Amino acid sequence: MVKHGGWAGKVLRIDLSTGRISTEDTIEKYKDYLGGTGIGYRVIWDEVPTGTKPFDPANKIVFGVGPLAGTGAPCNGRIAVTTLWPTCWPKPLVASGHMGGHFAAELKYAGFDAVIIEGRADSPVWLQVVDGKAEIKDARHLWGQGIRRTTVDINQQMGPEASVAAIGQAGENLVPMSVVINSYSHSAGGIGGVMGSKNLKAIGVRGTGSVRIAGDKGEWEKVVKLHLSLLGSVNQHVVPNSPQPWAEYYSDTRWVGSKGRKWGSANPNIDTGACDPHNLNRIAYRTNNAAFFLGEKAWQYTVRGNGCSSCPIRCHTMLKVPSVSSKYGIPAVGQNTCVGLLFGRDFFKTFPDGPRGQTAIEACMVGMHLADDLGIWENYGQMQRDFQQLYYSGTIKNKVGEDEFKSYSWDQYEKGDPTFLFELLPRIANKQDELATSLGLGTGYLLERWDIPERDWQQDQKIAYWKLGHPKHHSSEEAGQCGVIINTQYNRDVQCHSHVNFIRNGLPLKVQKQLAAEIWGSSDAVDAVAAYSPMNIYKAKMAKWSLLRKELHDSLSLCNWMGPWIASPLKERNYRGEDSIESLLYSLATGDKKSREELDEVAERIFLLHRALTIRDMGTKEMRTQHDTIPDWVFTDPAGKAPYTKGTNRMDREDIKLAMDMYYEQMGWDKKSGSPTVAAYHRLGLGDVADELTKRRLVP
Amino acid sequence: MEQKEEIRLIIAKIIRERSETGQLVQFEELLTELAAQGLLNSDVAHQRSHFEGVLRQVVSENEDIKELSGRNRIPHYYSSRSLSETYAGIIVRKQENSLIAEIVRENSAIYPRPVPLNIFREPPFDLTQEEILDCLERMGKQGEYQDIAQTTTSIGTVFLYSNQHLDPAYASTLAEWSDVGQVNNP
Repeated sequence: MVKHGGWAGKVLRIDLSTGRISTEDTIEKYKDYLGGTGIGYRVIWDEVPTGTKPFDPANKIVFGVGPLAGTGAPCNGRIAVTTLWPTCWPKPLVASGHMGGHFAAELKYAGFDAVIIEGRADSPVWLQVVDGKAEIKDARHLWGQGIRRTTVDINQQMGPEASVAAIGQAGENLVPMSVVINSYSHSAGGIGGVMGSKNLKAIGVRGTGSVRIAGDKGEWEKVVKLHLSLLGSVNQHVVPNSPQPWAEYYSDTRWVGSKGRKWGSANPNIDTGACDPHNLNRIAYRTNNAAFFLGEKAWQYTVRGNGCSSCPIRCHTMLKVPSVSSKYGIPAVGQNTCVGLLFGRDFFKTFPDGPRGQTAIEACMVGMHLADDLGIWENYGQMQRDFQQLYYSGTIKNKVGEDEFKSYSWDQYEKGDPTFLFELLPRIANKQDELATSLGLGTGYLLERWDIPERDWQQDQKIAYWKLGHPKHHSSEEAGQCGVIINTQYNRDVQCHSHVNFIRNGLPLKVQKQLAAEIWGSSDAVDAVAAYSPMNIYKAKMAKWSLLRKELHDSLSLCNWMGPWIASPLKERNYRGEDSIESLLYSLATGDKKSREELDEVAERIFLLHRALTIRDMGTKEMRTQHDTIPDWVFTDPAGKAPYTKGTNRMDREDIKLAMDMYYEQMGWDKKSGSPTVAAYHRLGLGDVADELTKRRLVP
Repeated sequence: MEQKEEIRLIIAKIIRERSETGQLVQFEELLTELAAQGLLNSDVAHQRSHFEGVLRQVVSENEDIKELSGRNRIPHYYSSRSLSETYAGIIVRKQENSLIAEIVRENSAIYPRPVPLNIFREPPFDLTQEEILDCLERMGKQGEYQDIAQTTTSIGTVFLYSNQHLDPAYASTLAEWSDVGQVNNP
């Protein structure tokens, strides 16, 4: 048999009901699905029966990484966690959460490409994985503890190098809106309760092995260097947001590093400098997510950028805010990225010193401290938007009992006092009252419980709700029809960044259009933000490409929050990136030579399997009308502007119908139902899936 | 012959070194520098035209050495190894009244986007709040800048745009997106 590089070669299977621990050969069983979500979907398809509920012992959790995890390829720190999703409403369907940090690499070094968790333990346990061996251990002493203490406890047993992924009280209490977190701040949303339902408190992983690179080492080094040279800042923004000596362009991006902008709480202070892209040792200074999201004031509190294994971007900003220790009794240091940073702030409508003042930063610190210990998920900010909407519309007052309502300090809340979070968040984690329990259910189940029609949420652009209990995630507001198509395709918020990382990269429109023409066939694939042109086939090609690259990244273990890398900061390349970087890395790492097109086809197989799972578990092939739905707010404009006029993101209903037609055609699916045809399944090697769906009359 | 070549090399070196520190060089500064290095004799007037020719030769021989002039047509020299044309252009126009307007127009045209007023307080502009406000006031009174307009976001940030390239409603949407929307869509 060919000895592949990249993969560790084994999948670990843990049956918590019986205590049985076994392994399987990755290549034999899962090579055609790469890893990550690919293994996850295959396991759920093969082994989790339709009708299984997320918290049933029959549900499985697949922690999966791909062949690039743990290698020297940049941005390979993500692990995909796939399971039946507890906040997917009205019916749980398959979805995945994605943790950064160091868990992915440690798992590979320990000799595994995935861990499949099944069954339910009789009492709380944690799983120890060290260098090819796994052991189920008693976690009764950890049950009831927060994520931080659990992590410290397990690290004390396993050593500081171990990566520990743990749930907090929210997960233990089967709160659907809960997370698993590794390395203290790298979370995968939606997973906490599923782990809690299995009495699994944590997984600690330690590996001292390595990942074999099958190809020529010199070539590998060259490709890794090429990849590094193409990197921008966080989200692959390739243009700095202020004029730099080396840069022809500057725009409103997340590349915030600049001479004079300092990590003010580092000792001594560190000037982020001009960040010339040719200096690969300065990549980490380009990004400061705290400064981007919380405002200029955050620079003075910045200690450094933190992040995932093998990723030079460092999007987790570490902050030190001394005032929170005395005011709120919490540690002065905290760290997170984008939504995680904003967890606390986003509950509030106003702050006494404005949205980017000291109090807002303190609210962020309090929010991170509580949420990342209790293990609460925010569903891409939907929990906070729901909360504001429900409070300011008077719904909370009407829906909870008088005593409960009075037990909250609403006057403090309205003033923007972060201490309010100490009242609300622990109650969510502990399902303590009607409000907290309802918020913890996730939007869909909350609306159902409180008799609020889903349609009410789908009318209001500000609430940003999309469907199935989840919000939009980079939709029409930044990528027009392409964003809309992408947002119809998953069973949670889509977490796809392929399109938006290009749209927001900061390059002038003319340059973006040149690159778009090379990749999707025409400059018409992209428009300026809020100046959308009618649908065309190139936008459909861009949507397909975006979705497949997302699935490819989630299966290879490349970070789709940072990639793809089709643009670069390099003037000498005319700002081109490399559309084949994934296949170059994959081919060299594994020794399985695949062209870009061939690897994209594997990604399409994985994406198709997700579609098949969704169809099977929804029990309908009418995906176009039952699943790929679009909220009404997409077709509205606050000022009543017409679609295609400058200054609006409003889409046109007929145009979006055409967009979906074109997209289904690109995918080779049936336009009327939006379901893949039998031929589409066969083309991608999913004949067994086609047979099963045919038997169930779920193919067009 | 050899001395001439050596001087050209020295001139290129001076330009490149200045560029590495984020600065451009004017002809007069080059002469001063050459004099300091003992490469000019007392007949400076005669040598001016000679060195103008030498400088032209330096520019034509070295792909990275560029000449750039502002509105006053005084040539400045820089090396594109260290400075982009955009950055060099900002430095050259720094003392000119039209700087803000030209930057606003460029951004409105090419990205397209309005620019936040506070960008002019940062390097390489380094204008004070008073200087920015003075400039805006002056522009408001001069016909050639009547395309420069302001829009304020929902959290109070002022952006500038050129209505030659962006209509007010579009500029307002883009400013709100830049200032508020992008943060709310992490």
